Amino acid sequence: EYFIDQLRSDGVVHLPRRVTNEIASNTRYEFYTQGGVLFATSRILVVDFLTDRIPANLITGILVYKAHRIIESCQEAFILRLYRQKNKQGFIKAFTDNAVAFNTGFCHVERVMRNLFVRKLYLWPRFHIAVNSFLERHKPEVVEIHVSMTPGMLAIQTSILDILNACLRELKRYNPALEVEDLSLENAIGKPFDKTIRHYLDPLWHQLGAKTKSLVQDLKILRTLLQYLTQYDCVTFLNLLESLKASEKAFGENSGWLFLDSSTSMFVNARARVYRIADEKLNQKGKVSENSDGKKENELKRELVLESNPKWEALREVLNEIENENKNSEDFGGPGQVLICASDDRACAQLREYITDGAETFLMRLYNKTFGKDEKAGEVWMKDRKAVKSKGNARPDTGPQAKKAKLATSSKQNKHKKQQDRTIIQMIGKTEEENGEELDVEDNKELNSSQEGSIDETIPEDFPVNLPSDSYYGIFKNPLTIIHPLQGCSDPYALTRVLHEVEPRYVVLYDAELTFVRQLEIYKASRPGKPLRQVYFLIYGSSTEEQRYLTALRKEKEAFEKLIRERATMVVPEEREGRDETNLDLIRDAKPASVSTDTRKAGGQEQKNTQQTIIVDMREFRSELPSLIHRRGIDIEPVTLEVGDYILTPDVCVERKSISDLIGSLNNGRLYTQCISMSRYYKRPILLIEFDPNKSFSLIPRGSLHQEISSSDVTSKLTLLTLHFPKLRILWCPSPHATAELFEELKQNHPQPDAETAMAVTADSETLPESDKYNPGPQDFLLKMPGINAKNCRALMNHVKSIAELVTLSKDKLSEILGNAVNATQLFDFIHMTYKEAIAKEKNKR
Amino acid sequence: DTVPVVPAQRGNPVLRFVRNVPWEFGDIVPDYVLGQSTCALFLSLRYHNLNPNYIHERLRRLGRSYALQLLLLQVDVKDPHQALKELAKMCVLADCTLILAWSPEEAGRYLETYKAYEQKPADLLKERVEQGFLARVTDCLTSVKSVNKTDALSLLTTFGSLAAVARAPREELSLCPGIGPQKVSGKG
Repeated sequence: EYFIDQLRSDGVVHLPRRVTNEIASNTRYEFYTQGGVLFATSRILVVDFLTDRIPANLITGILVYKAHRIIESCQEAFILRLYRQKNKQGFIKAFTDNAVAFNTGFCHVERVMRNLFVRKLYLWPRFHIAVNSFLERHKPEVVEIHVSMTPGMLAIQTSILDILNACLRELKRYNPALEVEDLSLENAIGKPFDKTIRHYLDPLWHQLGAKTKSLVQDLKILRTLLQYLTQYDCVTFLNLLESLKASEKAFGENSGWLFLDSSTSMFVNARARVYRIADEKLNQKGKVSENSDGKKENELKRELVLESNPKWEALREVLNEIENENKNSEDFGGPGQVLICASDDRACAQLREYITDGAETFLMRLYNKTFGKDEKAGEVWMKDRKAVKSKGNARPDTGPQAKKAKLATSSKQNKHKKQQDRTIIQMIGKTEEENGEELDVEDNKELNSSQEGSIDETIPEDFPVNLPSDSYYGIFKNPLTIIHPLQGCSDPYALTRVLHEVEPRYVVLYDAELTFVRQLEIYKASRPGKPLRQVYFLIYGSSTEEQRYLTALRKEKEAFEKLIRERATMVVPEEREGRDETNLDLIRDAKPASVSTDTRKAGGQEQKNTQQTIIVDMREFRSELPSLIHRRGIDIEPVTLEVGDYILTPDVCVERKSISDLIGSLNNGRLYTQCISMSRYYKRPILLIEFDPNKSFSLIPRGSLHQEISSSDVTSKLTLLTLHFPKLRILWCPSPHATAELFEELKQNHPQPDAETAMAVTADSETLPESDKYNPGPQDFLLKMPGINAKNCRALMNHVKSIAELVTLSKDKLSEILGNAVNATQLFDFIHMTYKEAIAKEKNKR
Repeated sequence: DTVPVVPAQRGNPVLRFVRNVPWEFGDIVPDYVLGQSTCALFLSLRYHNLNPNYIHERLRRLGRSYALQLLLLQVDVKDPHQALKELAKMCVLADCTLILAWSPEEAGRYLETYKAYEQKPADLLKERVEQGFLARVTDCLTSVKSVNKTDALSLLTTFGSLAAVARAPREELSLCPGIGPQKVSGKG
């Protein structure tokens, strides 16, 4: 999408088109043959390739974006394989901007390249001479501002680090098998730590003790704390901390770290940042008399301190500086825009408030929202502050109403913001856009010139931008300022887009993030004429934040170095591109692979007379199984199936369920109906339980077995299911690879299924298997009625010819047939109850 | 009403975990008889790896005398996949239902459950039927293909009761908003 917009604004004549499901399948062929550049979703593409709806031999080439995501069994790899099989001439090119992703796992790049059928690997690291010199030429002026943290923050940081370290040590002690090098403190600060630890622990998650699990949880919490410390203000931080403690008490679980010395000091410091606990217990009597009796001691006087975030001050300074510069920069043509980037929505909102209201009022408001019903205290505090000293009372209260209030205000803010973006300008030509923007800016200036009273106050301003309003925060005038979150917006290109549209002269990075820095560099280099003057880095000196940024930098560099080394040693076979017949990956082997899919032999196997086919439901293409089946030399026919997911032979129908699916559909009755229809139309219905290869191969976690048989267990439900469907077979497959293998073997010496018949099998089809004498439709209908169960249903059907006849029967006749008066009454009432009566009854109940 | 167990199973740790239903040794062909039409063979993968022919012999002797024949397989080896695949295939061909257990406790639990649930209706597996009349009627009508919830409600309001809907001739049904020329089909 982004690309299309981009190209459109660049005035490309042949606009690429997108293939979506809006285009009917039969017209898609024409669509493809029209030519041009097409964007397609992989799911549609797979199906079209398989059904030969897309003219593969006419495709000039395929571009793959985000190449680091390609693994062997994914859809994109499947598409490329199909493409290469049908077209030997076209090109395949792939891009990625995530070098670090290749650093995980064994021979990652090589495997990806193999899946992409590409031979050459080009690396463009930042330190490459060409890249470096090019970017260097357009280097914007960078000002790094190292803000020093307040002593309170420093103390908290050290204590958090202490605790983190302790937790890590514990973790290692409990799991000596873990790879130690990745679990260093330095890594623990970095972003992807959660993922790494998951990666290590997931396969044996069920074997871990409760201790380890809670340790992992703690690590996560601590990392959040660390982030909050640098990003948000003191009140938010304390709020989080207090709620942690409260929940700890509520759930009665102690995770250990709360009792460490460092955590106590952390609490003390965090509180100290917000208020000072006065020693003298003055005017106790006035307060206490009303409510509490035993907690008098706790009713301490609190003196609000509300330490403001040092970064805010720095930001203010920067903004002032920019403003000053703007004043004497007439030659640039008006004041330049400022783009402030903070890491997420919340931070942006905070910054916005800060800039508009100033630190004290903002913190005060926040404090009131989170901690106090006592707004009086706040007011008092404000007044006192104006005088000399401040004294106020507030009780910490993280009640739900406080949170609600917060929510309400934030939603209000959102609404307000939406009103702000009022016009949307479609950009057609570059020059027009610029003119338009400038004009608009001037317009707004005139409009608001009357309001521009003080320099300090910034007025919310309309600014025409064609972006969704929710990813935007605070657009101010004087100077034009935009705050934008780095993460958490749905559109990954939002930032780039903002850069291109706003064309800021100053960029302030409130939170340092590597990817954005890189984007900024490219932006600057690609438009040398644009007035990006200065980039301000706001970073806490010698903090974890700085550390995190540096680690990210180092990781990137290492990743590239490793890739370069790997490229040097990589052996790329000539036939990798698959332009001739010798590429092993393209050969779809009909012989079962003995060890792994990669060591298959090419020649020697006997040619089978008939081509094996499996009919696959359209919806199943989200899983990797079809790709793997195809790879084993079995043709796939994608159709929409109403019964089953895979049809192996005319008799064998398979319903695939992952573990979570299985549990879900056992509970909601879906699986039961699926089994009914499967056993109605196929001789051998099969339930395939597919386990996640990355998780443990077992149905229930160890030690979770109860003493008694419980009907809510998966095993009990599975038992019941097999009891009711004795014909149903169950396959337990540890991975999709194993499933594909098994499918192939099950098909051996059996006739091929027919897609036409499989499609014709729908829930209302009339083709009856011999065993069932009766039409299933009305049978289902009957079974849904009260008073009818599986046993008397048959008797009823033997007596009555149709439902129309059933309703004519008297109550006595019914009870004669059903053999039970109660059932008969229920049924009779049900049939003859009128709509009006029912409504009246329902009302009475209420 | 006990579970007959073949004497050869004596000493199988699984028996220790069959606690919720009574069992006794008896002269039977399968390992366990769990009901009128249900029986089970027990196999441990470790044993199977040592004596791959054992299970085939047992299955051959068992024949097809029960409607539901279980192969209760205890997965107690490190890398079960190859053997598992073979056994899965065999089960499909021999009309056996394969049940995997990862511990003797789990295997025992399956045996217990099969016996205990022998007569249990499938209600637990079905969609929960709502109790209100309207909900039930709607549910009932929507079981007819091509009738959705709105259709069901409009049918009810036009005709008054289920009986009237069933009696209504085809032409009148097709006059209902949202319903084309479709019918509540006859049965049997």
